[in-house]
Amino acid sequence: MAKEMFLAGCSSAAYGAMLSRVEVISSYPIRPYTGIMMELSKLVANGELDAEFVHGEGEHAQVSIAYGASAAGARAYTGSSGVGVTYAMECYSPAAGGRLPCQMAIADRALDPPGDFGSEHTDVMSARDQGWIMGWAADPQEVLDNTIMYFKIGEDARVLLPQFCCQDGYFVSHIPGKVSIPDQKAVDEYLPPFNNPHPLDPTKPVSHGPQIFPDQGPAIDLQRAQAFIDTPKVIEEAVADFNKQFGRNYDPFLEEYMTDDAEFVFFLQGGHARTARFAVNHLREKGVKAGMVRLRFMRPFPTEAVAESLSKFKAVGTIETSTSYGGAMKGGNLIHEVRSALYDVPNPPPVTSFMAGLGGEVVSLEEFYSMAKVLTQAAKDGKVDQYVYWVNFDKV
Amino acid sequence: MSDVYEITIWARGVVQDMEGRHMTLIMASSADKDGKFVQAWDDYADLPDRVGVPLRKYVRISDEEIEMRYEYENKNPSLVVIMDDTIVKGLNILWGMDKGGVLVVNSKRSPDEILKFIPNKDLLSKIICVDAEEEFSMEGLDFMGSEGGVEVSAVGAGISAVLAGAACHGTDNLTIDSLVAVSANKEGAKAGYESAVVKDL
Amino acid sequence: MSKKYCEKFNIPKHLQVPLGAVLPANKKENKGMITGNWRTVRPVIDHEACTLCLNCFLFCPDATWHLDEKEEKMVWNADYCKGCLICENECPVDCISAVNELEFKGGVVRLEKPF
Ligand code: SF4
Ligand code: SF4
Repeated sequence: MAKEMFLAGCSSAAYGAMLSRVEVISSYPIRPYTGIMMELSKLVANGELDAEFVHGEGEHAQVSIAYGASAAGARAYTGSSGVGVTYAMECYSPAAGGRLPCQMAIADRALDPPGDFGSEHTDVMSARDQGWIMGWAADPQEVLDNTIMYFKIGEDARVLLPQFCCQDGYFVSHIPGKVSIPDQKAVDEYLPPFNNPHPLDPTKPVSHGPQIFPDQGPAIDLQRAQAFIDTPKVIEEAVADFNKQFGRNYDPFLEEYMTDDAEFVFFLQGGHARTARFAVNHLREKGVKAGMVRLRFMRPFPTEAVAESLSKFKAVGTIETSTSYGGAMKGGNLIHEVRSALYDVPNPPPVTSFMAGLGGEVVSLEEFYSMAKVLTQAAKDGKVDQYVYWVNFDKV
Repeated sequence: MSDVYEITIWARGVVQDMEGRHMTLIMASSADKDGKFVQAWDDYADLPDRVGVPLRKYVRISDEEIEMRYEYENKNPSLVVIMDDTIVKGLNILWGMDKGGVLVVNSKRSPDEILKFIPNKDLLSKIICVDAEEEFSMEGLDFMGSEGGVEVSAVGAGISAVLAGAACHGTDNLTIDSLVAVSANKEGAKAGYESAVVKDL
Repeated sequence: MSKKYCEKFNIPKHLQVPLGAVLPANKKENKGMITGNWRTVRPVIDHEACTLCLNCFLFCPDATWHLDEKEEKMVWNADYCKGCLICENECPVDCISAVNELEFKGGVVRLEKPF
């Protein structure tokens, strides 16, 4: 029987890892990820989880340990936040290129300067092109579920890719919500043991990460790129199986809220979806046909699903929660992906972006209302005046 | 938002971090059991891993679903619990409280002695003192800065249950029966409820 | 922050941050980092027994003790002492003792918020 508990996203991630029977955990403290590490260390110390717990001397070591363990055939789990995520940057490509499906829990945090504990997606969004599967959960329940699902997806023989399993720092990681914790037996049925096709094994020696000639590079890259072409199908299967096994209701790529007759939608990732849903309800009470579409996977980016969904509306506003300084749209990254996905759609809706929730700023209902004002106008005009709005600062 | 009942708990860093968090959880769970909508969380800007640093923990109880879950602090607490009486000298513990609030203090001192240290005591309609340390054993005390984590095997095993028990005198949003039901330290919760010194102001 | 941005972007006064988030540094006490409210007990000195060896001054992590050279006695700063009792531990003649903070009227810091 599944049991229900009040858990913050950190504890929820740790329980997800325990239920996934992780074999090696590598840690290094940084807020808010510290909560995950603390919870796991307790579970190991109490004998509830049988895993090797290795404390790295920094995040670079930490991620190296994780993919090293994965290379030896273990199911490995690690995690970090903010500058910890960027400090380990060198390790991401070897893990993905070596096709070592370890998992890294990300409780995101703004980068320096100055010191800021608040949530912002920029830390791990900076690593989005390294070949890791990546997506945000919207609440502690989804954190636990994604943790289990990501192992299933990443370890699939058609995929073999590491995963960033992300949640918003504080908003999701530190505010407890009701979490239904599935039975170990049910999880075991869903998630088979990890089978590394090329493990480091003294009886059958292999060499990982050899030096190659430059002209061999493209073919290696092609392999990794191809894995991402095959991944969406695996995600669809894994999510469908998960829904069946645990009675959940996840759409593989997009959560749509009140979109059936929506004129415009907020397009976002992560925990701010909770406030967005309330904002949509209130806007509808006032007769404004708002909706929300939440992205569940940033990588692989679900181009077709996004194009199909967003082409239904008259205007789209991406809520960035990350930065792309000097980028094509001068704001965040989501809009780049969304506009590319919509490029070949006939009469695509106008798309603008909102810089909100940076540095852990709370995206309030009022902020959603001011974004709605911009989008209502855009839907009417069929175009946007600006590609980026700094919410609260730009005059709307 | 005004119909959300806000509780702020003040604790000392590291030594009371976990107990403080447990108090929020048993308060929330007991109100949840009574059919309310609840939220329980730690202040994120405080520094829980420094010994003795004042920490805030929050509970919200409401008859309707709580929409703004992501704010960083309770801006308008109706009930304040201080887990260590010396905090009264260090901070304006009644910050944001409207007139008619309730204060629960873990102290062996009398309500009058504590009130001497509270310049804005006219905000209070009631003060409740309970000596939770007497009921408290070192067993189960976790010195690990357990940031973000929850000891799910025994929530409310220590003084949190005693203080939460005493707090039941301060609001209808907490009922002692439900509180006892959700706390690991059932005797403590009852003892806190029974031994509390309640003074109406 | 440059005036140009403040005007263009409607940035309220309390959010007008300096270029590069660079702040002037404190030359003496940092009123933005009061730690006196971390204290549950305070170190109380017996001036008769004190030999002015300065151990407490050296070991205090918050530079809370200093020697008043005119008066020839150690002076303690209530705003920053966090009650860690390292000084009590390090005093060679045991002339520092720990007393519960509520025994004293003074030494009130009473910040509006922890930080
Ligand atoms: S108790 Fe600690 S902080 Fe206070 S004076 Fe002694 S050494 Fe310094
Ligand atoms: S350590 Fe003790 S004896 Fe030395 S100066 Fe400080 S109080 Fe006096």
